[in-house]
Amino acid sequence: MSLTHLNTRGEAHMVDVADKPESRREATASGHIQMKPETLALLSEGGLPKGDVLATARIAGIQAAKRTHELIPLCHALPLSKVSVDFHLDEQNSRVEVVATCRLNGRTGVEMEALTAVSVACLTLYDMCKAVDKDMEIGAIHLDAKQGGKSGDYRRQVAPATAPIVTGEGAAGQVSVGSRCDIDSPCVRVKFLAELRERLGISDVTLPLDSLPSTDVGGLKSALVKRDSRFARLSEGRVLCAVNQVMALDATPITNDDEVAFFPPVTGG
Amino acid sequence: MIRVQDAPFDAGDEQQQLLAGRSDIGAVVSFTGLVRDFNERPDVTALTLEHYPGMTEAALGEIVTQAEARWPLQGVRVIHRVGRLTPGDPIVLVVVASAHRRAAFEACDFIMDYLKTRAPFWKKEHSITGDYWVAERESDYRDASRWESENDEIP
Repeated sequence: MSLTHLNTRGEAHMVDVADKPESRREATASGHIQMKPETLALLSEGGLPKGDVLATARIAGIQAAKRTHELIPLCHALPLSKVSVDFHLDEQNSRVEVVATCRLNGRTGVEMEALTAVSVACLTLYDMCKAVDKDMEIGAIHLDAKQGGKSGDYRRQVAPATAPIVTGEGAAGQVSVGSRCDIDSPCVRVKFLAELRERLGISDVTLPLDSLPSTDVGGLKSALVKRDSRFARLSEGRVLCAVNQVMALDATPITNDDEVAFFPPVTGG
Repeated sequence: MIRVQDAPFDAGDEQQQLLAGRSDIGAVVSFTGLVRDFNERPDVTALTLEHYPGMTEAALGEIVTQAEARWPLQGVRVIHRVGRLTPGDPIVLVVVASAHRRAAFEACDFIMDYLKTRAPFWKKEHSITGDYWVAERESDYRDASRWESENDEIP
């Protein structure tokens, strides 16, 4: 294995690709920017002073991919056929994950373009959010996969230690829907669904109505946190709530025998 | 008609049933969503779909009602599967019938966009590197927002 950007005298040079056959090339790279939970919340609500952060960062990433040859000395200028930049707001880890994919039919790989798109999208996120958070940290920028070309396909091996968020097969796609309170005094039945259930390690709980500091969803959350601090998760990130199967907010009132469900954002279809 | 079920469905059968005995329908658009073998990670081997019985059917009903208020529709069928599915399996079916094609195309698109962002389903993917719950996608919300006006409620 040799470094293709060095010639026989060890000097940097641009690889002559004129005689290489054209093939479909695709590369995917990713990285993330770590931030305070409050910053991430502002970002997802669109409350940052510089406006639509993700749309701007996406455009920045796409532009950067197209101009990679101007930044990286020995890169060829490539007529990319596709650049996509996507963001996942990861509330558990309080960061934005950035994934970029570049494609072309050509003679050289596009991994530098994908890596550049991720880097510049992260930098743009930093720029857009720095007014409220200067501690942000950009990290883990790496190539995930590349296809096509002489060196063949590459797929990054995921380290097993970081892989499983949740282990096991999980329960079947059903939630038990209890019909009545299981205690005599006025009470509220609470359910936790999907990932929230697994993270909390509980699916159902019944609370006496008089244990709520206020008879609304906000009061229910306080009562749950008082019972066990892990329920603080209900106020972190995007946790949705329904009272009697209708979407609810903290101010939604709760009465005797109501069914309250907490769940993550939906992902069907 | 709305169904949430474990069993597979046959898109052709469902469409025929929707059209049976009708001669006033001029257009029918059918969308079938399938389980992919790659998503957030490559090599997805299966997925498990969870839902919130009762609320799921109600949410789908509300979405269909909204579609019927926006377009002149002559029949809608929504089927969403739950439980364990493997790549290639059909997961969701939306069939929309109308007198003219535009309403059918748009209503089908609308129902899928709203289903993805408003109906209580959750996907857990099983991949060769581990199991994980699928995260919500900003692009799905962007797609759904195409249909929204300022006074719509957003869950």
